[in-house]
Amino acid sequence: MDRLNKIRKKIGALSPDIRVTRERGCIVLRGEVDDWSIAVKAGHAAVDKKHSLGVINDIRLKGFEQKTSLPALQDRALDGRRVDVLIIGAGITGCAAARELSAFNLSTLVVDKMSDVAGAASGANGGVVHVGINFSRKSQKHYYNIRGNRMYRELSRQLDVPFEQKGQTMLCSRNWERIPVALLKLNARILGIPGVRYLKRSELLDHEPHLPDFTIGGMHMPTGGITNPHEMTAAMAENAASNGTEISLNTAVLEMELDPDSSKESGNTHIRSVLTNRGRIYPRLVINAAGVYADTIAQMAGDRTFTIHPRRGTNIITDKRAGYQVKSSMGKSPFSILPYQQKDRPRGLAGRMKFFINTLAGSSHTKGVGLIHSLHGNMLVGPNAVETPDREDRATRADEVESIIRMQQHIAEDLKFSDVIAYFTGVRASTYEEDFAVRRGIFTDNILQAAGIQSPGVTAAPAIAVDLRDWAIEYLEKEIKVDRNPAFSPIRKAVPRTAEMSDEERDALIRSNPDYGEIVCRCEEISRGEIIDALNSPLCVPTVDGIKKRLRPGMGRCQGGFCGPLVMKIIAEHQGTAPDAVRKGSYASVICYGGTKGGRL
Amino acid sequence: MIDVDVLVIGGGPAGLAAAIAAKDEGARVMLIEREARTGGILKQCIHDGFGLVRFREQLTGPEYAERFIKDFEDRDIESRTLCFVSRIEKQDRGLLLTVVSRKGVDKIRTESLILATGCRERTARQVFIHGTRPAGIFTAGAAQHYINILGQQPARRAVILGSGDIGLIMARRLTLEGAEVLGVYEAKPAPSGLSRNIQQCLKDFDIPLYLSSTVTRVFGEDRLKAVEICDVDNDMRPLEGSEKVVECDTLILSVGLIPENELARTLDITLDPRTGGPVCDGNLMTSVEGVFCCGNALHVNDLVDYVSESGECAGRSAAAYCRRESSDPSKAATVELHPGEGLHYLVPQHLDPEQGRSILYFRSSRVFGECSFVVKAGEREILRKKYPFLRPPEMERLEIDFGGYSVKPGSSVSFEVEEL
Ligand SMILES: Cc1cc2nc3c(=O)[nH]c(=O)nc-3n(C[C@H](O)[C@H](O)[C@H](O)COP(=O)(O)OP(=O)(O)OC[C@H]3O[C@@H](n4cnc5c(N)ncnc54)[C@H](O)[C@@H]3O)c2cc1C
Ligand SMILES: Cc1cc2nc3c(=O)[nH]c(=O)nc-3n(C[C@H](O)[C@H](O)[C@H](O)COP(=O)(O)OP(=O)(O)OC[C@H]3O[C@@H](n4cnc5c(N)ncnc54)[C@H](O)[C@@H]3O)c2cc1C
Repeated sequence: MDRLNKIRKKIGALSPDIRVTRERGCIVLRGEVDDWSIAVKAGHAAVDKKHSLGVINDIRLKGFEQKTSLPALQDRALDGRRVDVLIIGAGITGCAAARELSAFNLSTLVVDKMSDVAGAASGANGGVVHVGINFSRKSQKHYYNIRGNRMYRELSRQLDVPFEQKGQTMLCSRNWERIPVALLKLNARILGIPGVRYLKRSELLDHEPHLPDFTIGGMHMPTGGITNPHEMTAAMAENAASNGTEISLNTAVLEMELDPDSSKESGNTHIRSVLTNRGRIYPRLVINAAGVYADTIAQMAGDRTFTIHPRRGTNIITDKRAGYQVKSSMGKSPFSILPYQQKDRPRGLAGRMKFFINTLAGSSHTKGVGLIHSLHGNMLVGPNAVETPDREDRATRADEVESIIRMQQHIAEDLKFSDVIAYFTGVRASTYEEDFAVRRGIFTDNILQAAGIQSPGVTAAPAIAVDLRDWAIEYLEKEIKVDRNPAFSPIRKAVPRTAEMSDEERDALIRSNPDYGEIVCRCEEISRGEIIDALNSPLCVPTVDGIKKRLRPGMGRCQGGFCGPLVMKIIAEHQGTAPDAVRKGSYASVICYGGTKGGRL
Repeated sequence: MIDVDVLVIGGGPAGLAAAIAAKDEGARVMLIEREARTGGILKQCIHDGFGLVRFREQLTGPEYAERFIKDFEDRDIESRTLCFVSRIEKQDRGLLLTVVSRKGVDKIRTESLILATGCRERTARQVFIHGTRPAGIFTAGAAQHYINILGQQPARRAVILGSGDIGLIMARRLTLEGAEVLGVYEAKPAPSGLSRNIQQCLKDFDIPLYLSSTVTRVFGEDRLKAVEICDVDNDMRPLEGSEKVVECDTLILSVGLIPENELARTLDITLDPRTGGPVCDGNLMTSVEGVFCCGNALHVNDLVDYVSESGECAGRSAAAYCRRESSDPSKAATVELHPGEGLHYLVPQHLDPEQGRSILYFRSSRVFGECSFVVKAGEREILRKKYPFLRPPEMERLEIDFGGYSVKPGSSVSFEVEEL
């Protein structure tokens, strides 16, 4: 049977209302459904990696319309600007690319519609630097994850971002699980991942001293690590900025103007200009790192071969008090079925085999991580994975938070609801191929795609950036001469963390600048001096959230109750504005409406 | 290195009273306060109602604090403001503190320590409110800081969650500053604040109070746009189908206070899960010798008068501790005080029956009409006191001298409430 008809038949069985065509090498789905899961299943059913470029799934959900948040700012600050490279998206992918490019004498502009870098997925994830054991050998996920993982230590050193590499642990509950685990070990060997070993419970305790009772042993993978993804993204951005990259926040790409004749001549489309809420930009080359909107941007550029289907994930943060329960990161093996899961366990031999094969092939979407030690000593619990039609579905939900806690209580046996201090939701930008789509433009000559960067995007970003850099230079050299940036420095210094210094060091620092001795955030012990340093950094984000994300005031147990007003006052003084001009995050996130009736400072 | 007998951490009413009392007993005292000025939370409580018990006057928070600050200054007690206690280590004798201030990092050795660090507020995430994270969600204390300290108006149309005193006071304050307060929502079937505050802060301003309902979700990307309100059942679980959306730009949370005991934790002081503060004896000494606790760090008070009283007790005890003979009488012989049926908590948790007059603070676990407060040593009833009513929001104070009841050290005394 013809491949397309095969797909049609599969999709027809899901819904009679979906039309399947083949256009420009892609499988295209159109129609309307009233159940989002059908649209997602159809998208997955349309995947044919060997014979098509990708799936374009334009199935709509009845009654749903995407609400895209756009910055309230409107000005012409960027109008008419000509740049060599325009990077769309200041997540970890865009910022890593900007940093790589800042080693060259190019004008690079990064735009993001949010009010800070890492405002989307890059600021709402677990920060695990993954081992990548269950990826398939041919996937881009594997290609970039293994390279990215190897880069992390040196990168963290250069950018002065904390990094811990104490391994990742996969727990087993039954003896028979050792068989599939052996297969995973074999996969690790094939993928070139070193050091993976099965350890008995007693040996595993050296790595994770608080194992749940059911554990008989587990796989220990020493290359697993933990980063602070927001700090890493901000550090890359700061480093790029100090090497000359311009970063424009609150800046959304709205439209692209394509060269009218270009496609006739060369068979290739060409982007002439890019319209934003701050004016029209004329870039030589565009890098699309727009996360969940990467397909929308690719579509604007005439280079779309993929579809992002958003997948929401929620992580829970506990008080540091509960942090002892995990030393690095661990979760049950994807094969193990705990007693409470018995009822949904795959039945029969065939069922089990299918479950194993899917798990081994890496088509299960969470990486089996359940508990993560954050670099600040809290414990992160989660994430889950839920398909959603809404690309900005970052609201948390009571039932999900509760079920994540109940599920992870089987692993962190002391975990209590009262340990929870916060939770947050991020949206993964998955394609139906369930792989990254990092490539040069196919139909458009001056675009590079960094799309479909779902997990393990934090791990992979530094390696993706290297390819983007090389391809960008290869393209630009056709038009201009590209030299190294003589002033480039790969080093960025973090704001000093006074609470972590020795008493002598801290004393000396305070004597040189007394602001380091004035503690503003009592939960995280952060001084006025550190806040002022963050405001003086090469990428100043003078909002309460901007400071909070960089230094953690407001991230501790009081969640900003004490220090919120103080931070607002420091920002206002530093920026020379009225306190009510200070925002929480976005341009329209007003905190105070102005002076009280009588009160003037 | 600074060397003192009694070091007080926290310059709120509890810490000020403690420092004054210890000084009057002849101890070498020092007080450390993290903020620029002493007075604690009272600095921002510009409403009146403070000091009724102690001074029989209606003072504002700053006025009440001022009286203690004056007494404190009159005694030339050494103090440091903008000074933060970063670390405490136990030593063979006494404790060693590492403090950070604009001068640098200093070490202070002290014979005894008084924790008067106050409390902090529970947050939206701790009460499991879901949704987006826009601006416009404040704890009541933070909103109070914006208005009363920074002179900034944080609200136009506000919903208040929690009918505790701080929530009620903020409802009035916001109204006076021109905001519209749409209502105070309370998950419990009865309001948590003092009756006089319900009258003076809500009824007098026609602000509605909705009982057995809560906020479950918030909406809005930039600034808060609306909240979802739900009715709750007796276990305070939201009732499905009762959801209702109320448009507002501000959500004020007054959902409970938690004693601030991070320093106590680092000293491995035993905490009472009922109060959230340290387990103490009749002298307000914690499970760690020489370390005392008072005020809201010990248990959350609703009247500042009792905060000062507990501070004085801790201050006197700490000074006495420094004068002690080599043997340690305080650890000798205590009876356990056990909160039984009808009681939420009881402070202190144990005491020496021979110490004479003891002050007990307690809260009932639910609302009682006319009732008896019954004290038993084993099966033997030793005291019965009648109350016209008992309500969990209103802390009760009781003086007892156990000397006359021949309770044996090592035994336990239980306390119960009987409905009449
Ligand atoms: C819950 C969760 C847990 C995860 N855990 C891990 C983990 O432990 N380890 C790991 O390696 N990975 C993890 N990931 C994956 C990782 O977070 C992402 O792969 C990575 O952050 C993607 O980065 P990005 O820069 O490509 O995208 P994003 O961070 O989403 O950035 C895209 C940016 O583009 C901007 N943008 C979009 N449209 C426009 C427009 N029109 N104009 C201007 N700007 C625009 C957005 O505002 C956004 O800031 C997790 C993801 C989630 C959701
Ligand atoms: C909004 C509100 C309204 C109230 N209304 C009334 C009323 O009408 N009538 C009434 O009688 N009572 C009222 N009260 C109660 C009363 O004000 C409090 O119970 C009392 O202020 C508590 O005193 P405290 O000294 O224990 O704590 P606080 O006043 O909170 O003082 C604690 C101090 O310790 C400092 N501190 C904490 N940690 C450290 C550290 N590590 N190093 C150095 N310093 C530290 C803090 O900065 C703070 O100054 C109200 C309370 C509030 C919050």
